Amino acid sequence: MSNNIVSKFLNWMKSAAGFSITATIVIAVLASIASGPYLLVNTIVTGGMLALVATGLTLMLGVLNIAMFAHGEFFMIGSLTAYYVFTPISNYIGENPESFIAVIGPLIAMAGAAIVGAISGIVAEKLVFGPLRKRSTDNWVMNSFLLTVGLSMLLINLHQLIFGADFKGIVGYWTGMPVSIADVFISRDRAMAFVIAVIVVSLFWFFMTYTRTGMAIRAVSQDITGAQIVGIDIEKIVLLTISLACALSAVAGGSLLFMYPSYPTVGLEPLYLAWFVVILSGLGNILGAVAGAFMVALLKVITVEYIGAGWDFVVPSALIMLILIFKPSGIFGSDVRGALDK
Amino acid sequence: MIVLETSNLTKKFGGLTAVNDVSMTLNQGDVMGLIGPNGAGKTTFINAISGLNPPTSGSVKMFGDDTTRLTPEKMCRLGLSRTFQIPSPFPKMTAIETVMTATIFGNESGKVKDPVDHSREMLDFVEFPMAETVVAEQLNTVQLKRLDLARALASNPRLLFMDELASGLSEGELNDIMRIINKISKKGISILMIEHIMQLIMAVCNRLLCIQFGTKIAEGLTQEVANDPKVTKAYLG
Repeated sequence: MSNNIVSKFLNWMKSAAGFSITATIVIAVLASIASGPYLLVNTIVTGGMLALVATGLTLMLGVLNIAMFAHGEFFMIGSLTAYYVFTPISNYIGENPESFIAVIGPLIAMAGAAIVGAISGIVAEKLVFGPLRKRSTDNWVMNSFLLTVGLSMLLINLHQLIFGADFKGIVGYWTGMPVSIADVFISRDRAMAFVIAVIVVSLFWFFMTYTRTGMAIRAVSQDITGAQIVGIDIEKIVLLTISLACALSAVAGGSLLFMYPSYPTVGLEPLYLAWFVVILSGLGNILGAVAGAFMVALLKVITVEYIGAGWDFVVPSALIMLILIFKPSGIFGSDVRGALDK
Repeated sequence: MIVLETSNLTKKFGGLTAVNDVSMTLNQGDVMGLIGPNGAGKTTFINAISGLNPPTSGSVKMFGDDTTRLTPEKMCRLGLSRTFQIPSPFPKMTAIETVMTATIFGNESGKVKDPVDHSREMLDFVEFPMAETVVAEQLNTVQLKRLDLARALASNPRLLFMDELASGLSEGELNDIMRIINKISKKGISILMIEHIMQLIMAVCNRLLCIQFGTKIAEGLTQEVANDPKVTKAYLG
């Protein structure tokens, strides 16, 4: 019996997924020993947030077949909302530092970001994607891709027009001493950002795996005709998927407001990183996207540490070119599109 | 009672008329065979009725209501199910999960008390040859067709379309499928089936509809249509 498990594990190690996950862990541990555990901490915090954005992106790709290039703008919408919700809360906390608002205030801001993100996703579907789906029958991938680029431009410029181009940021969400783990001091905001990412991604995974609606989303992503004929309302599922994906991105924007102040093009960096993740891990695979998020985060952190701060986009892009040449379906990719591969 | 009625149903793709002015009726309890040479428009006809590819003109009445251009999911709730010539499974789902999608979304909520149990019953009913935990992408075409059928039955349909369910089956499997079709019919489900295997058609169908070049050339009792010189000519040229 134990032999069986060992041989299964060895087989998994030989697969692209097993090899790359093991390599990531080994590299992370080695780098931490060499340069200090803060590398590991940085990787985990960055990876957690990246997982949120990449999961939303994966959902859009896997279920709707949209190559979403406006996802960073929902990140921006999230951070903007969190800024405007949190500023009055922060003023109130300044006057009453002992009130319980100091603890839950940031969470209110993030929840606000999620809600506004979901609503703007619904608006985008109703105004942009829905009409396109009714009109365009062929070349959907190209058309929807161009549409998202246009949407991205529009939202960036709307932000600049209405809210101005200056940085709208906050000093921090949670005040107090940093948390100390293994001689590494992590600010409370970073630690909380990671905790929130873990909670949201786990909830999302649970939702996709065990609920009826999650089952419907998976069915639509795997075979849209089959889903239609068993009585699943496609329009409803599409609307839900878009709002969910946008909300995930907006939560990331909201909870990272202390690191990335809101300005018109704040979403570009998370967008590019999330695309690295999605290409690396294979299109439309949620669990793969979570693993990929930590790989890209590690790659970024290690590049900054050993090569230089300006190189953190160059190395991942070079790696992605290699991956596209040798394994076009990505590390965790399969030939079949599906939002939650088993 | 008339379950399905089409009047002057026409489907055009650009300049090509795939289904031309077909009117037919299907009565409660019928097992109707839809026959015709390859490319006659049989599948297009079924797609036009079931909403996957709405008709250009003409109308469809199902269970007494006008259902022309309703979406497939609405028709599923009304009591229409179908299988596909090329099965359309959810590749990453297990057999039981696949059937459960239809159990959960195809029935009014609360009607099926235990979805898992109901889905298991459906798999047993179609004599699904594999374990219920097998993932759909690992099944071969014959097994997928059984799974497709189980999924179609799980939404408790009143009318079932089957698109070449028996193609590619061995003699023994053909007898199994014959028995299963008879079981379905005994449950009170009316059936419209596209089929090429005359042996199966003669054994299970009580009525036939024959289409050639998108146009209806015969409709009636099985023996009459099978002996119709126009039908023989369409098949033998």
